Order: sequence, then structure tokens, then C-alpha cells
Amino acid sequence: MSSIGTGYDLSVTTFSPDGRVFQIEYAAKAVDNSGTVIGIKCKDGIVLGVEKLIPSKMMLPGSNRRIHAVHRHSGMAVAGLAADGRQIVARAKSEATNYDSVYGDPIPVKELADRVASYVHLCTLYWWLRPFGCGVILGGYDRDGPQLYMVEPSGVSYRYFGAAIGKGRQAAKTEIEKLKLQDLTCRKAVIEVAKISIYGVHDEAKDKDFELEMSWVCDESNRQHEKVPEELLEEAKAAAKLALEEMDAD
Amino acid sequence: MFRNQYDTDVTTWAPAGRLFQVEYAMEAVKQGSAAIGLRSKTHVVLACVNKANSELSSHQKKIFKVDDHIGVAIAGLTADGRVLSRYMRSECINYNYTYESPLPVGRLVVQLADKAQWQVCTQRSWKRPYGVGLLVAGLDESGAHLYYNCPSGNYFEYQAFAIGSRSQAAKTYLERKFNNFTASSREDLIKDALIATRESLQGEKLKSSVCTIAVVGVGEPFHILDQETVQQLIDTFEIVREEEIAPADPEPAAEQGAAADQGGTENQGGAENQGGSPMDI
Repeated sequence: MSSIGTGYDLSVTTFSPDGRVFQIEYAAKAVDNSGTVIGIKCKDGIVLGVEKLIPSKMMLPGSNRRIHAVHRHSGMAVAGLAADGRQIVARAKSEATNYDSVYGDPIPVKELADRVASYVHLCTLYWWLRPFGCGVILGGYDRDGPQLYMVEPSGVSYRYFGAAIGKGRQAAKTEIEKLKLQDLTCRKAVIEVAKISIYGVHDEAKDKDFELEMSWVCDESNRQHEKVPEELLEEAKAAAKLALEEMDAD
Repeated sequence: MFRNQYDTDVTTWAPAGRLFQVEYAMEAVKQGSAAIGLRSKTHVVLACVNKANSELSSHQKKIFKVDDHIGVAIAGLTADGRVLSRYMRSECINYNYTYESPLPVGRLVVQLADKAQWQVCTQRSWKRPYGVGLLVAGLDESGAHLYYNCPSGNYFEYQAFAIGSRSQAAKTYLERKFNNFTASSREDLIKDALIATRESLQGEKLKSSVCTIAVVGVGEPFHILDQETVQQLIDTFEIVREEEIAPADPEPAAEQGAAADQGGTENQGGAENQGGSPMDI
């Protein structure tokens, strides 16, 4: 890396001669090393899925969730440093409640994404702060329908049909591109997401155990952000494992 | 000339996306003497190894009572640990004052992690991460819990865990046995805690003076066992140890046999039969 040793990469408030801010790029690296997070927008809602790596087998299943509820109609999946993620989630929650108390209406997803992005961006502007080591995928449902946003450590936020961050983002993106998102229902999408994260992305040789965490906001869940029902999650896992075995058999 | 330019500041990311200052703080946890925690459905046991700085001094206290239903064991910078346990105590008291009910353990752990994470720490250039790992044991309406709070601001819920110097041996022991812990009786948990502690002593003899044990559980507020009780427990279990060491390998068998014997003891039967709200202390 040409950046190392030049002295232009030690602070967020230092630009390099060719106009880059290396500290932000380094923070993005922390995200790239984490378990994969996937979000897709379907016909009737949003599905979020996380490949949560488990560092120790003595850890309890279900602890350390990476998908958080932000408001009744929106949720957030975090990749990268979980501790930084909690901060962003806390901010998102307070922005959402604040909007609700001022305007008496749930916050539009676009507005929420913008506010979260400004907050993330704020931490790239001062020498005494560091950029967040995490990226978030934000899904929600408002009067304009289901929407999916991704906010990166630099503070940019884009709206997506399908988004992926973390270790396996490349593979996941290729898989998402193959889906017909316009006519996919969330119920079907849950199975697709499980397939992508279990056999498409998870590297069994390199990584230890992992847990599949999933949530959705869709018509079926009454446009509320909820955990995917247990039986559907199990069904999805089983389908994904079956697909994996078929792949191995080939 | 530059060995590592990226490791002197919490606000500097290394090119590979690492925060060395946070990682170094996590090293501090490994310097402290070992702390061990394990839990069953109804009880959590904390154990720690006491190391005195010199022959003339006593050891530092490593297990703190936070509230009737919560206690912590620390490894790393004791001073930081005391600051955090004082914070936890006041959070418990405030919650109790406001809501007239004990603070759920999961909530406290998040607050603690947030404190370690942003108000103080890993994101401001003029602050440093706490150099201490905390094993938080507690009981609330959802049962017994054991959490590990890390200097990075992460927290994890565990069935059993060990931190501190030479904790790997204890961890290995716990990893072998943790599947049975949910159903363990109070006495079995204490026994496993003592054995895990002994593992981390690496050859040094297990005495009540080098370890502290604390228990919280259904019908039992968090308390630190006094030295005589610990010594008595060690004496009872030390017999097991002789059996364990004599044969070359079949130690799990010997232990399980002993565990079965323990299972019938009268006094924890009451705790298991209660079955009511685990919050009733």
C-alpha cells in the first residue's frame, strides 16, 4: 500500500496529495473483515440477513444480535465493530422517536437514512474522533413502500434493491443480482437469503461457527420490523443446507 | 524507524482496519490474574485467582457485589474495574429507586458496554479504553446470566467463560464440560469452578487463600463465600483430584461419577424444586 509511511494516513482530518482520506478507507477495512450482512428489497417488503460469526462455542445462541429494531417500521443490520454499531442504532432510535414526537408520524425511511448518514459523517470531520468501524443496512416500510438503504463509514448512504457488506459481499452481490426482485415475495426471499449466506458466502474452512440472523418488514408482518418467524427460519436453513449438499454432490 | 505508527492513538485506524489501542487494552485483561464464571439454569458461580503483589501485601479484591442479584469478577486493571463496579452499583440503585424492581442483568451489561464504548473511550483521542474485562453474573426474571464485558465495548453472553492470565487452561476445561452446566446443581457448579481455577494455577496448590468464590442464584443473593467454606469445599473435592491424577486418562469418567454423587446432596434440592420466579431472592 502506497499510503503507509507517508504520514498522510494517520488522521481523519488529513487529505493525501491525491485527495483521499486514508483513515476512512482503513475504517472501511474493518467492515470488510466482518461477517456478511445482506439486505434485499422485494415486491412486498425488505428482508435482512446476517451471517453472525461465533467466536466461542460457550457463547449462548441468540446473544449479541446484529439486527436491531429502530422504530416499529424499520430495522438495521450491522457489519463491522458491533460496539460502534450500537452507537449508530442508538442514534437512529433517538432520531426516529424525535421525529415521531415532533411530526406525529413515523419517520420516513429516506429521512432516517439521511440523518443516520449525517451522524456517521460527523465522525469523519474532527481529528479527535475516529470514523465508525461499521456499516449498516437499513430497511423500512413507509407510505412510499419498502425501502432499503446502506450507510458506509464515510457517511454516504445509497438506496438499493439489494445490498451486501462484509467478508462475502462480492459473492453475495452476484447471487442477489440473479434474483428477480420485482416478483419475489419476502417469504421466498427469506429462503434465498439463507441460501446466499449459508452456501454462497460462508467459508467453513476459514470461519468457525456461525448463526443466521434474519428479520423482515413486509405486508406479512403488518409493515412492522420483526424477527422472521422461527418455523420459516428453520425451513429456510433446511432448504439452504439441502442446496449446499446438492452443490457438493455435483 | 517506525515500528508501528498506528498503535499510539485510539482514534487512528491501522491500514488493515484494526484499532491497536483497543487491542492493547484487551491485552491488559490477559495480564490480570484469572477470573472464571459459569452458570446453570438457577445459579451463577464466579471464581478468581488471588495474586499478592509481594509477600508483605495482601491481594487485591477481584470480585465485587453490585446488588443483591448481580456481582462481577474482574481481570486486568483493578482500578478501572472498581470504577466500573461503582458505576454498576449506582445504576442498580437508581433503577431500583425509579422502578421499584431490580435492574435486569442484560440491561446493565448494555449500559456498561456503552459506557466503555463511547462516553469514555474508544472513540475520543483524549480518552483510553478501560483496561479491564468483567464477568458479570446475575439473576433476573429471565433466569441466571453470565456476561463478559470487553474493553472494546463488546459484550457476550456465555454459559461459562474464563479471562485473565493462564485462563486458557480453565477455558479448555470448561469447554469440555459446559454442555452439562445448565442442569448442574449449585454444588456441582462450585466444584467445576474450583477445578477450573486449579487448572489456571498450573501446578500451584489450590488453597482457599489463593482463590475467591462467589455465588448468586435462586433463593440466594450474591455473596462471596468465606474462606473456611471455600477450604472445606476444596478439601472435599481435593479427594477427587487424587483419583483424577492417579489413572492416566479416564478422568472425565471419575469426575462424572463424583458429579453424580454430588447430585443427591440435600441442600440444593430445594433450590431446584422452587421453580417459581427466579427473581425471588
